[in-house]
Amino acid sequence: MEPGVSIETSSMIRVAVLPIGEVPPTLLRDYFSMLLRYQTILLSAISSFYTEHQKSPFAHQPWDSGSLRFKFILGGAPPSPWEDFQSNRKILAIIGICHCPSSPDLDTVVSQFSAACKGFSSALVERCFAFCPGDSQLEDGSRKGGNLMLFPPADRDTQELHLQTMMQDIAASLLMKFEKWVLQAESTGTILKTPLDSQSSLSSEEVIKAKKRRLGRAQKTIGDYCLLAGSPVDANAHYTTALELSRLTGDFFWLAGALEGGVCALLIDRMGQRDSVLEDEVRYRYQSVIVHYRKVSPITFELEATLKLARFLCRRELAKEVVDLLTTAADGAKSLIDASDRLILYVELARLYGTLGYERKAAFFSRQVAQLYLQQENRLAAISAMHVLALTTKAYRVQSTASVSKNETGSGLADNTKMLHQSVVSLFESQWSTLQMVVLREILLSALRAGDPLAAWSAAARLLRSYYPLITPAGQNGLASALSNSADRLPSGTRSADPALPFRNSAKEDWWAGSAPSGPFIYTPFTKGEPNNNSKHELIWVVGELVEVLVELANPCGFDLRVDSIYLSVNSRNFDPFPVTVNLPTNSSKVIALSGIPTAVGPVTIHGCTVHCFGVITEHLFKDVDNLLLGAMQGLVLSDPFRSCGSGKLKNVSVPNISVVPPLPLLVSHIVGDGAIILHEGEIRDVWIHLANAGTVSVEQVHISLSGKNQDSVISFASETLKSALPLKPGAEVTIPVTLKAWRLGVGDADIAGGKSAFGSIVRHSKDGHSPALLIHYSGPLSNSKDPQTNETIPPGKRLVVPLQICVLQGLSFVKAQLLLMEIPAHVGESLPQLAHVNSHCSEDAVGSNSEIDKLVKIDPYRGSWGLRFLELELSNPTDVVFDITVSVQLDSSSNDDSHSVDKDTSEYGYLTTRIDRDLSARVLIPLEHFKLPILDASFFAKDDQTDGVGSCRSAIFSEKNTNAELNASIKNLISKIKVWWKSGRNSSGELNIKDAIHAALRSSVMDVLLPDPLTFGFRLLRSCSEPEDFTAQAHPFTSKGSVLAHDMTPMEVTVRNNTKDMIKMNLSIACRDVAGESCVEGAKATVLLAGVLGGIAMEVPPLQEIKHSFSLYFLVPGEYSLVAAAMIDDANDLLRARARTDSPDEPILCRGPPFHVRVVGTL
Amino acid sequence: MATTACFIIVSRNDIPIYEAEVGSAAKREDAAQLHQFVLHAALDIVQDLAWTTSAMFLKAIDRFNDLVVSVYVTAGHTRLMLLHDSRNDDGIKSFFQEVHELYIRILLNPLYLPGSRITSSHFDTKVRALARKYL
Repeated sequence: MEPGVSIETSSMIRVAVLPIGEVPPTLLRDYFSMLLRYQTILLSAISSFYTEHQKSPFAHQPWDSGSLRFKFILGGAPPSPWEDFQSNRKILAIIGICHCPSSPDLDTVVSQFSAACKGFSSALVERCFAFCPGDSQLEDGSRKGGNLMLFPPADRDTQELHLQTMMQDIAASLLMKFEKWVLQAESTGTILKTPLDSQSSLSSEEVIKAKKRRLGRAQKTIGDYCLLAGSPVDANAHYTTALELSRLTGDFFWLAGALEGGVCALLIDRMGQRDSVLEDEVRYRYQSVIVHYRKVSPITFELEATLKLARFLCRRELAKEVVDLLTTAADGAKSLIDASDRLILYVELARLYGTLGYERKAAFFSRQVAQLYLQQENRLAAISAMHVLALTTKAYRVQSTASVSKNETGSGLADNTKMLHQSVVSLFESQWSTLQMVVLREILLSALRAGDPLAAWSAAARLLRSYYPLITPAGQNGLASALSNSADRLPSGTRSADPALPFRNSAKEDWWAGSAPSGPFIYTPFTKGEPNNNSKHELIWVVGELVEVLVELANPCGFDLRVDSIYLSVNSRNFDPFPVTVNLPTNSSKVIALSGIPTAVGPVTIHGCTVHCFGVITEHLFKDVDNLLLGAMQGLVLSDPFRSCGSGKLKNVSVPNISVVPPLPLLVSHIVGDGAIILHEGEIRDVWIHLANAGTVSVEQVHISLSGKNQDSVISFASETLKSALPLKPGAEVTIPVTLKAWRLGVGDADIAGGKSAFGSIVRHSKDGHSPALLIHYSGPLSNSKDPQTNETIPPGKRLVVPLQICVLQGLSFVKAQLLLMEIPAHVGESLPQLAHVNSHCSEDAVGSNSEIDKLVKIDPYRGSWGLRFLELELSNPTDVVFDITVSVQLDSSSNDDSHSVDKDTSEYGYLTTRIDRDLSARVLIPLEHFKLPILDASFFAKDDQTDGVGSCRSAIFSEKNTNAELNASIKNLISKIKVWWKSGRNSSGELNIKDAIHAALRSSVMDVLLPDPLTFGFRLLRSCSEPEDFTAQAHPFTSKGSVLAHDMTPMEVTVRNNTKDMIKMNLSIACRDVAGESCVEGAKATVLLAGVLGGIAMEVPPLQEIKHSFSLYFLVPGEYSLVAAAMIDDANDLLRARARTDSPDEPILCRGPPFHVRVVGTL
Repeated sequence: MATTACFIIVSRNDIPIYEAEVGSAAKREDAAQLHQFVLHAALDIVQDLAWTTSAMFLKAIDRFNDLVVSVYVTAGHTRLMLLHDSRNDDGIKSFFQEVHELYIRILLNPLYLPGSRITSSHFDTKVRALARKYL
């Protein structure tokens, strides 16, 4: 069988093209390709070379339209045993090709050529073309003459013209030889035999039969020569005769041959006029050809005829018919004895299926071809097998990435993030893993045999990468050794398009993935909120600054993998990647950071990684892995290599758009001292942050802000220090102080702390994410505006995050707080100090002591009595250090205390230090009297009055729901003035955060602490002006402070002040009691006489006014007496009821003042 | 039962979603591979042939040596392909019809993504039982 046969093959003149002498392969290919242009020589073109020696047997030769066809066979072909049967199988001409520079001696060339020609006995014309002769050779050659044709060096066009002339000459010579042969055959008659005949014994019967058949065979052969001579009409006439003769003699083989020749003649005759009628005719005739061939062996002719018909019909529309023919032909393969025949058959089948567009069928037969090649077990066959298999890879979708054209891969399904699952499925089209593995394995085998290490490497890599789950660990090891063996034979630095080891990129890590500010300021509040770009993944890198990309590598196979180097592969040339070496143990995955430096402004696209592994450099694309993972997710591919390695922690991200901007300043920070700042709860400490500009551009603008949790723990940071250091030149440094205050451990944290601190151990609280961070936004100089008109782009700013790693240790813990109250009655004196301008100095005077504790006793201006109020805090120290507690109260200096301010003192009031030893608890007293209680202030009310003009503000306060809010506000105000400082050791100090505790403690008694009684009572001695000595004595603190003489009429007056905004009607009564508490005005044993009214005094007190009521007492017995005023309020309003904490509206409200002491001294 | 038979379901995207060697012949790896190669190649013919008829059962559409490929194309262009060496059209037709029904049940599973591999062992068991019954 012969490859590439078609119906027209019968009309082609075979020309052997032989290299003579040394011809470099590339040149030979070049010369051969020049020859190929002259496969068809028009008869009209050769008429000038043609001389009719005698009458031409080709009577109907179409000189104007016909042509001769050549079939050039490089290297020639061995003579076929069937060349008598089909003359086109003969080598009818020989063209030698000689490259003169490599064959200097032309004589040798001539002799070599003639020797070569001896192998082709059927050749009628022999020519040797010598290209590129030297001058001497030209002279020499012109003398040689004969068959040697010299092609003088010239440009290609000239050479081609020369060659054309030569070919026309050859064609003419052949034509004349054909004529001669035909004339000879007609006259003498030749014996034509086929291998079929030779087997028959030469019995007389056979000889007679052969003689009978001789004529028919001769006619058929003449017909063949007519076809070769380009005269289909003559050929047809001879074939018709041959048909009749061979039918008569029962020579079916030659009958079929004549029929076949007739079809060819028909086609040549109707050249270019193909229609369905012709097609039907050809089909009909060829069916009978096939039928006749079938009658005789060998089967090859039947198969060839089938293939010829199939090739003739090979069109999509006739696919079914062609497929039938080809299937029949394929069935014939079993009957073929010769392996090479089967090879040719499969090759032809593959070609025809390929022409039909049946890629998979073609691949199937190609693989059969490859298997036949592989059976031959020699290197050349293995190379052929490898090449054939490479053709099948497309159909089986295992092609090497090198062979996939760029635009095919570029048409990005992967670009589209929202892929429909249908298109996802299509990504994994034809996942015939069994087939793919078999094909790859065969490629590997053939490549190994063929000695092509790169192809072997590539096949092994593809096998490993795509099908590792289906390969046993032993097989994987085998592949790995195949890879390294192949790599050993490859030159170092070889690149392969097929990656071996799977990986993916996981995350882009960068110091800053932010927006470019749109104004001269680093942050403008207007642009901050809005999205800066349409695409989410925008990344800006800066020239000259190291960036890192996290890439996850996985080795799911059963062997240890050493990646010699891996670095980011960047298409744009503005990125310097740094390679790293990675060792991946069996079945493991690893996240590595690949770094690099952008070198120039512009976009950067990272497609993947360049990996140097197993001795070969490959590029791994992220996209492929993305697709793989997508497929794994959908269950379309075998397995996710990362999950099988126990990975999957990192989220896969798509590669963002990255652009590189010009150099920017780069601030580097570190906290002076240790990395972590360890603080007790509430501790206040300064830390220093050292900032240095590590960039190449100076920092021109800077802004510091806070972020993260517990921001309030940063009390202050010296942004001014930083700003004053601007511009910060490259290399310049600055240190800024930051004042920190440790936060309180939360409830949950405290629990943990409590559990852990059972044995007094230090509990470190170092949970991440609790610490605040300093955000330093900074930028370089504005780009030099060469043209202010142009909308210059402002270089982006940067953000530096300085995390303050604060470790909070448990400090003092608060146990409870409570309010301690104590009331000390006042002495009745000449004045009413408590009402108008009471101050601490007064009280000092009154008490007559300068001791510290006495300072704490304060007059309640609205009650008229002395009071002692403490907030008692119980603190315990669970830590192992000693704390010193100092309470300080910030005194108010507010301007609104115009008339009722208790204290004018603005300084802080310090108390004694309390020391709490480790594992102990202590109580700390905080005096409350120093506060001006704001709710008592007239100004407070006045403020409310303004907002609430009717004056029912208090009613509102007490009755409405906002009571709580008002109270809370005032309590908060109060609490904020109390500071409990602690100090521990030499340099650890802080403030105890006990606001909540105080709040809770004050909550219950807040009314008593903060609100005045509605009525204030005060007693005063009235002295007549006529007794100045008493007056002066009264002024003296020690002698006659409020003392009254017994047996003396003592005029007194009681003052009742209305603290409300409403008129109060009341019934005032005054009681005077002795030390035992007995009333000493009424009853039989009255020791005090009185003048005036003491009980049932009805009075009306206008709002915020006071009314006085005078009376006189006459004390009979010296001693201590106390005067108590009480008032029954009539028609109490809601406000008063609320203050008195009564609910029933009918209950009378008794308002009792504090007792006033009167010291009665006897006359001495 | 046929001595050699290989059943395969090919999704509309030309991906094999189910494979089973259902023949009674001794299993040989290279034979199984050849079966798949033949079936894969037959897809080319199915792709043209499926549109020339309204029948779902396309009968024997391809052969290689003595292996015959019979195909049944569902409305969704999922192809049930059987490689066999016996000529029992009726049995094969029944086999295909019943497997089609099984396949539809798989499709009705809301968790099954059409076009992905059929991993149900129940399906596998049933198909093998049907193969024993009809082939």
